[in-house]
Amino acid sequence: MTTSTCNSCEFFFKTPNNARDFEKGKGDCVTSKQDEKGKYWLSRPVMEESLCCQSFKNKN
Amino acid sequence: MNTDIHSIDYKGKKIEFHPENPAEMDIPADELHEHLQNPSSARTQRLKSRCRWKHASAGEFVEKGVGAGIERMRLLTESHKATEGEPEPIRRAKGLKNILDNSTLVIQEDEFIVGYHAEDPNLFPLYPELSYMSVQDYLSTDYAPQPLTEAQEIVDYWKPFSLQKRCERYFDPVDLQRAYQVSTMEGPAFASGFNSVIPPYETVLEDGLQKRIDLAEQQIAHARKEMEAFPWDGTTKLQWIDKIDNWRAMTIACEAVIAWAQRHARLCRIVAENFETDPQRRKELLEIADICQRVPAEPAKGLKDAMQSKWFTYLICHAIERYASGYAQKEDSLLEPYYKISVVDKSFQPMTYGEVVELVEMERLKISEHGAGKSRAYREIFPGSNDLFILTLGGTRGDGSDACCDMTDAILEAAKRIRTTEPSIVFRYSKKNREKTLHWVFECIRDGLGYPSIKNDEMGVQQMRDYAKYSMNGNGATEEEAHYWVNVLCMSAGLAGRRKSQKTRSEGGSAIFPAKLLEIALNNGYDWSYSDMQLGPETGDARKFTSFDQLWEAFRKQYQYTIALCIRTKDVSRIFECRYLQMPFVSALDDGCMELGMDANELSEQPNGWHNPITSIVAGNSLVAIKKLVFDEQKYTMDQLLDALQANWEGYEEMHADFKNAPKWGNDDDEADILITRFYEEILGGEMRKNTNYSGGPVLPTGQAVGLYMEVGSRTGPTPDGRYGGEAADDGGISPYIGTDKKGPTAVLRSVAKVQKNQKANLLNQRFSVPIMRSKHGFNIWHAYMETWHDLNIDHIQLNVVSTEELKAAQREPEKHQDLIVRVSGFSARFVDIPTYGQNTIIARNEQDFKAEDLEYLSVDL
Repeated sequence: MTTSTCNSCEFFFKTPNNARDFEKGKGDCVTSKQDEKGKYWLSRPVMEESLCCQSFKNKN
Repeated sequence: MNTDIHSIDYKGKKIEFHPENPAEMDIPADELHEHLQNPSSARTQRLKSRCRWKHASAGEFVEKGVGAGIERMRLLTESHKATEGEPEPIRRAKGLKNILDNSTLVIQEDEFIVGYHAEDPNLFPLYPELSYMSVQDYLSTDYAPQPLTEAQEIVDYWKPFSLQKRCERYFDPVDLQRAYQVSTMEGPAFASGFNSVIPPYETVLEDGLQKRIDLAEQQIAHARKEMEAFPWDGTTKLQWIDKIDNWRAMTIACEAVIAWAQRHARLCRIVAENFETDPQRRKELLEIADICQRVPAEPAKGLKDAMQSKWFTYLICHAIERYASGYAQKEDSLLEPYYKISVVDKSFQPMTYGEVVELVEMERLKISEHGAGKSRAYREIFPGSNDLFILTLGGTRGDGSDACCDMTDAILEAAKRIRTTEPSIVFRYSKKNREKTLHWVFECIRDGLGYPSIKNDEMGVQQMRDYAKYSMNGNGATEEEAHYWVNVLCMSAGLAGRRKSQKTRSEGGSAIFPAKLLEIALNNGYDWSYSDMQLGPETGDARKFTSFDQLWEAFRKQYQYTIALCIRTKDVSRIFECRYLQMPFVSALDDGCMELGMDANELSEQPNGWHNPITSIVAGNSLVAIKKLVFDEQKYTMDQLLDALQANWEGYEEMHADFKNAPKWGNDDDEADILITRFYEEILGGEMRKNTNYSGGPVLPTGQAVGLYMEVGSRTGPTPDGRYGGEAADDGGISPYIGTDKKGPTAVLRSVAKVQKNQKANLLNQRFSVPIMRSKHGFNIWHAYMETWHDLNIDHIQLNVVSTEELKAAQREPEKHQDLIVRVSGFSARFVDIPTYGQNTIIARNEQDFKAEDLEYLSVDL
């Protein structure tokens, strides 16, 4: 059995090389949430080789 | 609306009070406030409808789902462990960097101003590095950060390093136990973590953070050169070591803030390019991305830049680097140059005046959902609101001319339209202020917002000049700087701007409670009604006092002991703030810290010492009653009085009536006013100013009750003014006791004006008649009142314009009165979010009418 990593997730966006917080393999995990007050977007830093979380959605 | 108010015969004319807006005739008087909001756009209407308010009531959060996040404390702890052994300012900077680099970012639908301080918009951060007690308290509530076991580990880790623990060891446990009762004094800053700051927003907007980094690096280079130059002199050159650490910390902090802002830019771009389906919103997200990429790294080029840059700066200074209450800024002057670029010249980020109003409405809604991880005590004392968020407008410029401008009007119009409890506004009233702006001030007040509260501009400027004389480095406020003052929190003036603003509440803030001090002075220092312990020195058995002077001196001793303890707790906090709670980001923004390589906690160029006596009028009225009935007329003995108080007046009804009917403050009656004036000037101010604080200046009183008149009232036993035990105390700082001002609004002014010596600030809290204020004569009457108030040299006033009818209707059907705002004291609150005990104190306030003699005294032209 293979376990997916953040790199293959639709919500993973690699940090651009010219960003101040650039690190090799680092990216933003961007997800949305909705509650009774409305929709909002969250972004948290993750590494591409990290094991995926419950929000994982395959890019393909 | 009910216009059934008596008409007045004035100067041969019959004056009637019909609503200025005839449409209001059709609105029932008990729901007026539900018809006054008028958001300037559909977007701000939506944002208000879905606002994530974080109001507290009786210490509990009103809305479901609000709670403490764990992210900030987790990331700070991680960094603290990893940086052991490094210089403390560097550790603080790396702690901030670790939070900013790794925190979750939030962007909500419809927002134009972006940025939040916790991992979810329903959460707020906690600060275990400050008070272990207040964070521990959170862990036992429904608002506890999750997972709870990790949160407990973090609290346990920080306990020995916390500000509270570091300070406690310098106090006798007896004194600490007394201070922690919050009965004679507000709890020490180190035990609550409550704080305030005036961030130097001006340097961020004018310079940009990249320039601040460049300045710090130039200073480091210069320092190294000085250290390396021949000959070596250890007596002068070793000072560079601490300075280099501070400058290095500033660069780390500024770099981290820029990177964090640019993470926001990236998030907006990712959402726009990958998820957003509405083309208009997509375009807007890309515009926000562009703004966040540039600011605060670069200077603001237009008004949208300025607002976003200011917001990021606010979040860091007030909620991420360290907690601080407040929203202190001279917002109209700060944004005026960018208003000119965007609205007048339209040379960058072109906008209309109406779009500026909308932008300010959005700013107000951002503040309205800003959560503060305050301790339980501070959630209790600001019922119906999130926290103390107060900005300042108006006043005069450095050359003495009127500082009001179109940006001032836009901020006031936005406040009137969107109707939110936060942020509150202070208006600096000068006779030079233009009438157009005064009309906006009046519009907000008569709509019942409770703000702007009005501060006397000239008194504030003079105060800045006076404190400058005590500057320990001879660099206090210049004449121009003295004109650039704001309210630090809700009551006290302090400098704003690029340099010399107040950076910590250990400089000025916190409270002392004279009514409880009188109670214990009557009981040899013992508090029988609340804590059941000795709260002060033994000052004699009051039953044996044979003269009023003996009681006066017993009170003086209780006050001396407690005020010295108060100031000592603040100064000890200050020392440990300097050593372990450096603020490298705030320091980087201050020109003085940048020049001298000092941390913002440590550098104090302009002293601003103040402390807040609350419940003073209960104490003052009580002294008047004792002097009259026991010592002058000898109608009762001290034995009888103390027995009656112990019985909460039960069985002493006739005696109670005599004490209740004794002369009271606020009626221009010298029988009360002479003694109470002496009480304010000789004891409250005179004894307080004998204390010198960290910054070298005297500490002066700034009376303003906030919600403490309720909390401390409930902890204060029966008092000789006829008040029953547990009843609320006086609700201002120099206001008449609730309902005892019976001679009209101008008699109140004449009483209050008698207190002039040894004061820094005192709040007068008044409630005006709705029909009079909403009539076509409303502005003229208010304006004449304000001119008289100013001429009488009174410092601060706030006005409620709300009917008893509407307040009682809201108590019956709270769900129908969500937009009913009232002024509590120093802050405005949603009425239905205030506990019933507090609501009743507002209903009981005298609704001042204006009679012909008042209008004549004010010389109103009608």
